[in-house]
Formats: sequence, C-alpha cells, structure tokens
Amino acid sequence: MAAQGVAAQSFRQAMAWLHTWFGLVLGFVLMAAFFFGALSVFDREIDRWAIPSTRFEPQPMPSYEQILRPAFERMQPTQQAIDAMRPRVDGPMPEHFDTVANWSAYTTHRDPVLALFAGFQVPGAKDPDEAIFALGTIDPRDGTALPDDRLKIGSGFFYPMHYSLTLDWKNLGVWIVGFSALVMLAALVSGVVMHRKFFRELFTFRPGKGGLRSVLDLHNLTGVVALPFHFFFAFTGLVIFSATYFFPVGHTQLHDLHDLHAATEASELGLPHKRAGVPAGLANVDAMVAEAQRRWAARDMAGDVGFLVLQHVGDANGYVSVYRAGTDRIALVGQGIHFKASTGVLIREDPVATPVGKVAEFLTGLHLQHFRHWLLRWLYVLGGLLGAVCIATGFVFFVEKRKRQHAKQGSQGARIVDALAVTMITGMVAATLGILVANRLLPDDLPARGDWERYAFWGTWALALLHAGLRSAPVARGLANPAWREQCGAIVVLALAAVGLNWITTGDHLLRTLGAGYWPVAGLDLALLATAAIAGATGLHLRRRAAATAAVEHPRREAAHA
Amino acid sequence: MSNAAMLPFPAPRLRLAARIGAAVFGGYAFSWGFIAAGAALMFKAGMDFHDAEFLSSALGLLVFLTVFLWTFATRRLVLAWVVLAGGGALLAGVASLVQASIV
Repeated sequence: MAAQGVAAQSFRQAMAWLHTWFGLVLGFVLMAAFFFGALSVFDREIDRWAIPSTRFEPQPMPSYEQILRPAFERMQPTQQAIDAMRPRVDGPMPEHFDTVANWSAYTTHRDPVLALFAGFQVPGAKDPDEAIFALGTIDPRDGTALPDDRLKIGSGFFYPMHYSLTLDWKNLGVWIVGFSALVMLAALVSGVVMHRKFFRELFTFRPGKGGLRSVLDLHNLTGVVALPFHFFFAFTGLVIFSATYFFPVGHTQLHDLHDLHAATEASELGLPHKRAGVPAGLANVDAMVAEAQRRWAARDMAGDVGFLVLQHVGDANGYVSVYRAGTDRIALVGQGIHFKASTGVLIREDPVATPVGKVAEFLTGLHLQHFRHWLLRWLYVLGGLLGAVCIATGFVFFVEKRKRQHAKQGSQGARIVDALAVTMITGMVAATLGILVANRLLPDDLPARGDWERYAFWGTWALALLHAGLRSAPVARGLANPAWREQCGAIVVLALAAVGLNWITTGDHLLRTLGAGYWPVAGLDLALLATAAIAGATGLHLRRRAAATAAVEHPRREAAHA
Repeated sequence: MSNAAMLPFPAPRLRLAARIGAAVFGGYAFSWGFIAAGAALMFKAGMDFHDAEFLSSALGLLVFLTVFLWTFATRRLVLAWVVLAGGGALLAGVASLVQASIV
C-alpha cells in the first residue's frame, strides 16, 4: 500500500519533470507552430492582403485549351533551379527544357489565382527519374502570368513557418517542429497525470485570485478545454510528414517492397510509369474534363476540378488525370479519372478508397482543411490561439513561480527565461506585424522584394529579443520586465500602421471592403484592429500593475536602505 | 542543479543525459523498427503498400509517445536502453527478413 503510494508519487514527479523541462525548451518552437498554424488557416486570405493585384473572387479551374496550354508552354525552370540541379547532372545543362515530364494545376474554393507546376526531364541527369521543376501563378480569367517573385506571405511564409520555421537546410526545421510535436503529445499526457483533480480543474478560472494562481488556471483551462484539438493536430501533423521525413521506411529500408508495389500498381492501373519514347499528340483536354465531371454527376457527386495533371506530355504513354476538388469533402482531392492523352479514351476511374485510405484522408484532410466550412475554419484559429496561450502561460508560470527565489539566490535563470518568453510572445506578434507593414511600405518594383519582407520579419524579431534582454534586469530582483508592456505598445502601433498603410496604398479601407463583402482583406484588417485592442488593453493593465507594485516596493526599499 | 534534484531518482547529469538519450534516440530506433516491421508484415498479409505504411506509421507514432513517457517513468534505465535499442534492432531485422521473403 505504502510502496504503491510512493511509486504513484514518483511517477507523477517524473511526469512533472518531463512536462516542465521539455515544455520549457521546446515550448518556444511549439509557440511558433501553434501561432503560425492558426494564421495558416487563412493563408490564402493573407496572400490577398499582401498582393493587392490578386484581390478578386476565387475562380474555377479554367479551360485547358484557352488558358492553361499557353501558360504551361511558357513555363521553364528558373536560373536558380537550374543552378541547384547542375551538380546532379553529367554534362552541360540545356538552354531550353523540351521534354515535359508533367504539367499540373491545383486550385481550391479559396484561390483567385491558379498555381501551375511543370516538371521536365533533364538530359544527363545522374538519376534519370529526377525532374527539374518550374512553378507559375496565373490569373485564371485571362491567363496573364503574375509575377512570381511576389511573396505570398500567408501560403509562402507563415505556412512554412508553421511546419519548418523556414529552416530548409537538411529539413532541419521539419525535424525540430516534428520533435516538438512529439513533446507536445508528451506534455499533454504528463500534464493530465500531474493533475489529481483533473475534472474539478477543468473549468476553474480565478482571475482575481492573485497572479500565480490565475496564470496556472489559464494554463490548465486552455490546455484542457482544447485538449482533443491539441492532441489531434500534434498527432496528425506528425502523421502527415511521417512517411516522407520522420520514418521514410518506403524510401530506405523497405525500398524494394515499395518498388515491387509501384510496378504491380502501374500494370494494374494501366497508367504507364515511364515514357514510351514515341511522340504522340494530345486530344482535347477540355472534353476529358467535361467527361470527368459528367461521371462525377452520374455518381451523384457533381463537383469542380481541383487538380489536373498531364503526365508524360507529348508521348504515346501520356495520360491526363482529373481530380475532383474536395470542397465538400474532407479529402483534399479525390475521385480521380484518367484518360489516354493522345485519344481522350477513358483508362480508369479510381475506385472508392480502402478503409485505411479513408482514415488517412480523414486525418490529413482534417488537419490541412481545404474544404469549405467557415465556422470550423474560425474554430481552428481559436484552437491554435488557445494552444499558443497555453504555452505562453506555461512560460509565465515558470518565471513567476521562481523569480523571487532566483532573486534571493542571485540566479539569472528566471530573467533569461522571461526575456525569451517576451521575445516569443509579444516579439513574435510584432515580427508578424513587421512583415505586413514592410509589405505595404516597400516599393512595388523593388528587386527581390520578398527577401526584404523576410528581413523585416526577422529584423523585428531580433529587435524584440534585444529589447527584451536589455530591459530584463528587474526580473533578477523579482520584479516584472517592462518589455512586456512596451512591446504591447509596439504591437498596437504596428497593427494600426498595417491597417492604415493598407488603406493608403490600395484604397481598400474597411468601409469599402466590408461594404463589398470582400472578407479576405476586411477579415485581416479587423483581426489587426482586434490585435491592437487586445495588446493595448494588456499593456495598460500591466502599466497599472507596475505602478501599484512600485508604490508598494518603493517605501520598502527605502526602509531597507535606511 | 535544482532541475536534477526534482527528479524522483538519483540523477547526476550523466544519468539524466542517458535517460533523455534513451527516450529520444532509443525511442526513435524502437519506433522505426515497429513501423518497418508493421509495414512489411501488413504488406505480406495482403494490404496495399501505402495503406500498410500509413497504418504502421500512425501506430508507430503512438508507440514512440508511449515508450518516450515510459523511459522517464521507469527506474530501470539500463532496461530502457536494452528494450529500446535492442527491440528496435530486432524489429528492423524482422522487417528486412519479411521483405527478403517477398522480393
């Protein structure tokens, strides 16, 4: 009985240790993953705000013959891509890439512009299967190419921040975020174990009951209320990348099994794996798309095209795959229908997914959320922000619990953690606003404009770190860091500046965007105003509290000196 | 260090590092073995390759979480290393044997 009690006690202590120290170290990464994940829910809308020339309504997949073909034919890899490929090729790189491995176009119900992808065979490539890629963006209404050097701040920056921190070197960022997701799962389990009165604490929040207690309540509340959300997203995030990055057994240890599967699959499906080497024409692709849509309608699931792929273009083995947009489904795209490119004859219709395939579609589709459900979309933002608040309050609790003791011991521990927490909480919000402000301030025709926008982001964040560090001395005396309230002030200024600059540079003020019901821009402007309001209220609250503390501390210190 | 003192077991720094290493790297090795063996066995049992790969990865991630927590909860650090590294190698061996029996 006693031995059991001791074992349970030490188990709980072990879990508490894990929760505290892994949470502290990787909480900084998790904070970014949750915050930028919440922003990524509206990545395409943020793109509209950042690239004013794309502020128009979402468009369906355009006609291949009129719009897509000329756009595809113009596509060539960038000089950067060619230089990157050069070491993996024997002999010189060609002037022009002529053998098209594949052309594809992807769109969702939220995309006004259309993303195009082209893969080309590279003569002399050491791995003959390795293609070189080109990306393009067009206005699907008339096929005009849009400048691709314009940074899509939502889908091209905040979204990669969410899963890789944009540390692309050897996929380092993906691994760091992945390990942090595992630690998030461990923190959730250990957090539950730590609480003896789990259900009583479920909805306990005592804002008036002294700083430490209410911080811990808020930490528990945001962690527990959204527990299923946090667990689901950390887990599915890992699942999505598992076979590609974390456990690529199919590309390494079980490579032979994977090859065996690919070969049997290709022969069963009738979709050729390689080119025949015999030139062939291309039948009317619009007719194939119309036929695919007719077949979906016949299955009582009429829908739009989400993904169109032309494989082995110009070859007798070429085929065209038409996938249905998952606007009303959890799966991203599906119900693929494949046609022989040279004749337009149907090759096959994808069968209904296997039970495991359906589970995979459900888990990845629910995480990536390309379907139409605006309420759920906002709940995702809320869940992501609750996760960020949970981690932020974890930092604050860590510091508040220790700073007086550290002050007595002369330790700098609480001071350092507090400065990093300021950087990671208010500093991260400031950096996010910094890139938006830079986006509206930089000249339109600035070369490498996107790079400057990124520098503005990292520069703002670095300044926030510097500021938090320089102002952190009071924490070592057991007091609050004034950087918290000062950075709240910076957030107010930056958020209002972003809204104002959007108005000045594009004329799209809130009355106009709200009047026109143009939510991508109106929504972000409103979110910026809400950010300013919350940061302003928090800053004022902290200022008042600092004044109150000073009033109490001052006479006490005077007395100590005397 | 106060952090080491918080642990319920005698934990000088080296021992703590050994425990963290077991949880992170041992846990990874064990999960790799589990996923590879699971995928190979399910494929052999007739499941589609990508289905087998997906299912074993999803379960393998939960296995990783479980052994990660267990490594911190157990008093027997040597046992943790033996189970995780040894078990991982054993499972990976099973995966390769199953593959060899098919290809």
